[in-house]
Amino acid sequence: MRIKAKLKDGVTTAKVMAKHPMMSYDEAKKKKKEANFITHITAKVGDEVVYDASTSQFLSKNPYIKFAFKGDNKGKELEITWTDLSGKTKTGKKKIK
Amino acid sequence: MERRKFLGLGVALLATSLVPASLMAEDVRKAKPNAWTVKNPADKKGTSLDGVNAAIKEVFGTDKVETANVKLKAPDIAENGAVIPVSFKADKATKIALFQSANPESLVAVFDVPKNGIPDYSVRIKMQQTGTVVAVAMIDGKLYKAEKVVKVTIGGCGG
Repeated sequence: MRIKAKLKDGVTTAKVMAKHPMMSYDEAKKKKKEANFITHITAKVGDEVVYDASTSQFLSKNPYIKFAFKGDNKGKELEITWTDLSGKTKTGKKKIK
Repeated sequence: MERRKFLGLGVALLATSLVPASLMAEDVRKAKPNAWTVKNPADKKGTSLDGVNAAIKEVFGTDKVETANVKLKAPDIAENGAVIPVSFKADKATKIALFQSANPESLVAVFDVPKNGIPDYSVRIKMQQTGTVVAVAMIDGKLYKAEKVVKVTIGGCGG
């Protein structure tokens, strides 16, 4: 997972690229594999949720998301967690610059 | 070791499920499983918004939507349907959902906007044929939308 988080004028902008095949049901059928895709992405700073998305098979492979949030978050850590259809979760952390 | 990790995960999941729902962001996939299976009419080849409207109803409980207050950015023509950059913005929105009419199912994603979140998001989506992208936002309990037709020259769902 690649994360960039930048603070400017009290607004943190985050760009995240998760590594995931995002195999839709149609694609899986053709490739004779199991469908699997990220179903939920959350971002947190400390205990505070700053981003929450429930997603489907129609996000692109290696999904890229961009979002922003307010707050004095200088030097704090942004924590991104995704869960996929198979139940696997992955967490990435990055200090907000 | 793997097994131990797995068991630990189970305990963690159990613990989070005991937290009152009001404190947690909603996992829309679990809360509204029906919304994710609403199909776009296959015979209309992406031109019908019936599936999108049905999915909007599943997610928000109503399909009364006004076209205003949402800004949606998507390309006119996508050469590669596998990677279509879409961004959308809706000031003061508490929830935004993204739909399209090109793939077998309509719903792409649902975003819960947290207290300090700024509803200005970008994602990349797949579309297997030309269709309409629709962003719906809930602002003050009312629904607003913006839509845009994206012409896809090479399909992106293995199509």
